[in-house]
Amino acid sequence: MKIVLSEDNEILRKSLSFFLTSKGFTVDQFSDGQEALEAIKENTYDLILTDINMPGISGMEITQYVRQNISSDIPIIIFTSSGVEQTELDSFDIGANEFIAKPISPAVLLIRINKLLNIRS
Amino acid sequence: MKNIELPIPHNEAERLTALRRYNILDTLPDNAFDDATKLVSYICGVPIAHISFIDENRQWFKSEIGIGVSEVPREISFCQYTIMESKMIEIQDTLLNDRFKEDANVTGGFKVRFYAGIPLTTPDGYNIGTLCAIDHVTKELNENQKNALSIVAKHVINQLELSTKNIELKTQRKIAERAVLAKDSFLANMSHEIRTPLNAIIGFTDLLTQTKLDDRQRDYIDSVQLAGDNLLIIINDILDLSKIESGNLTIDAQPFNLRKTLKHVYNLLKVKVPSAVEFNLFLDADLPETIIGDQGRLNQILVNLIGNSLKFTEEGEVTVSVKNVAETEDHYSIKFSVKDTGIGIPEKKLKTIFERFTQAEESTTRRFGGTGLGLNIVKQLIELQNSEIHVKSRQGYGSEFFFVLDYKKANDIEAEDETLLGEDLGKLKILLCEDNALNQKLAKNVIHNFGFELDIAENGQEGIDLLSKNEYDLVLMDLQMPVKDGYQTTEYIRNEMKLAIPIIAITAHSLIGEQERCYNVGMDAYVPKPFKQAMLLEAIKSVLNKDIKLPVKRKIDLSFLDEMSCGDANFIQEMIHLFIEKIPNEVAQLEEAFNRNDLDSVKKLAHNMKSSFDIFMLEDLSHCLSVIEEEASIGQFSTESVDRKNILHCGVIEVVKILKEL
Repeated sequence: MKIVLSEDNEILRKSLSFFLTSKGFTVDQFSDGQEALEAIKENTYDLILTDINMPGISGMEITQYVRQNISSDIPIIIFTSSGVEQTELDSFDIGANEFIAKPISPAVLLIRINKLLNIRS
Repeated sequence: MKNIELPIPHNEAERLTALRRYNILDTLPDNAFDDATKLVSYICGVPIAHISFIDENRQWFKSEIGIGVSEVPREISFCQYTIMESKMIEIQDTLLNDRFKEDANVTGGFKVRFYAGIPLTTPDGYNIGTLCAIDHVTKELNENQKNALSIVAKHVINQLELSTKNIELKTQRKIAERAVLAKDSFLANMSHEIRTPLNAIIGFTDLLTQTKLDDRQRDYIDSVQLAGDNLLIIINDILDLSKIESGNLTIDAQPFNLRKTLKHVYNLLKVKVPSAVEFNLFLDADLPETIIGDQGRLNQILVNLIGNSLKFTEEGEVTVSVKNVAETEDHYSIKFSVKDTGIGIPEKKLKTIFERFTQAEESTTRRFGGTGLGLNIVKQLIELQNSEIHVKSRQGYGSEFFFVLDYKKANDIEAEDETLLGEDLGKLKILLCEDNALNQKLAKNVIHNFGFELDIAENGQEGIDLLSKNEYDLVLMDLQMPVKDGYQTTEYIRNEMKLAIPIIAITAHSLIGEQERCYNVGMDAYVPKPFKQAMLLEAIKSVLNKDIKLPVKRKIDLSFLDEMSCGDANFIQEMIHLFIEKIPNEVAQLEEAFNRNDLDSVKKLAHNMKSSFDIFMLEDLSHCLSVIEEEASIGQFSTESVDRKNILHCGVIEVVKILKEL
């Protein structure tokens, strides 16, 4: 299973990537939203994991592009530390499948990823 | 297909507004609603049940069994008809119903044969959604089932109301909490501003009384001293109240000599007694000498009550009596009573005298002065010690205030002797870092009185220069200074110069957490301004005599990182390196952006850094960032952010140091 991970905090990105790799996923990681989106356009992934606030473009914009321009229904998980309820509502509104508030629990993340991937298969 | 006109309720616009108020559309699944749906399926014995809400163009399912989609277009839904009604619609056989018999979801789709739907009606009368039971076979609900459905529908609406109210409450609570915080920090800052000049007034008056004065001058000086002391009492009262309110006032449990304390209070107040008043102190013969409790607060309570009695008694007597009324194996119960023959309190006022800013008569304030805070503080201080204050009074005859406090027995622990002499310390050489000229002068005189030598540095940098040139026994450190403040200077002395020289903070700050921060950066003691000579000497003695105590170290919890890395030690080490390499730099960037008031950069940096702290489970530091980020979003930094920035600075240095040693 191939995951694209887009998060600008280096420590968190590397940790998540390490964690997911140890759980058997292939992870392509990006610190810039634009670069992540380019990779999504060119490759086939099974799941997108993205932060909201990032340089380049935001996780919201990535989600919007994937749903509207590529018309792909690839599962998307958005995470953010913004405690604002509206952010969560907006995330679902533009087509994200899951929303996880930071700090992210690795166990919870894994369960949600598995749930999303099972539903598709 | 028949061209049926779609039903729209007459109050559609208001209905949609009512629906939006609940913010329910597109929310995550919720147990409360899922349970209600299960209940419907169970009560009616149907395979399909749902709770749904209808907006302009869709029917959205908050909870469903047997449907499997999250929404359907409004124009194909059965429920668009149900919300037109005020009561339940039951279609026992859709094939016999003219409206539905050719519907796509009857002939195919969900194959609806039986439909029962009840509108979800808000308290203000709008049908925002439906609760439905659906089956593939014909069916007829009995009265009990119908009743049960109505009840469940009512519960669903109640649930909605409740969660909306809860969200509103949370918002209100946040606002209230912010207001309290703002008030606390305002009070603390005000007291700081007032105490700094007061420090100078009281200190210099103190010194002036020790010079040669004629009678008239002495009289004036006495008045100045009295006024200064009173002003300090008022400020301390206000601070105490804010501390009590915010739960930051704690009751000490230290051994102290009860008899001595009582005699001290008596002697202190004796000087204020008018000639026509007899002032007595009666101590029970079997009163213990040493007990464990809060001496300072007992002092404060008694001085307040006796001070009141003396103030309101023009002739007659004021009597303080203290008795040991009960004793267990490890406790004494001691009754304190202050009785006077003063003006007394009218009966109807007896209850209100303990309230804030109230005295028995408004004219009292004009005649006798006072802040009206004293008795309120006394009451709260006694309540904090799990007791209560009582009062008996008759107008024109006098009053009695009494209370019983429980004290632990001090087994063989002798109360510390309070002899304060500078001589046995020898000739100390002290360095003072202080920018305020008045305070410099005051400290100089006090220190010279002790017989010590003093050098003065105008700021932290100068202090560091002097420290590297000369030998000192001790540093007195003001916290707010130009160039390098007291914290930065102490950090430099401890971390760069690697000196273990005792450092005493002298500060007019009364901010909560200030003292802790001083200890965190490596200071040894803390003397609040305005300082009394004895207090400073005590601090000097304690830091010179005390055993070398290691400061309480922060513990870093790597369990989260451990979970992330699935226990891979190399990876953990790699992340620690990354933290050490990146974070101090990021903090420096944050501080720089903060100083040039670059709100946007501060916001971004703080937001980004939070994730790093979360991984190392540094909740306190992560919280500092949240505060800073939030204030950056609002567009203005208060002292709160400045404080958090400083705590962050120290915290990161500490964390990096610990991580390096791992």
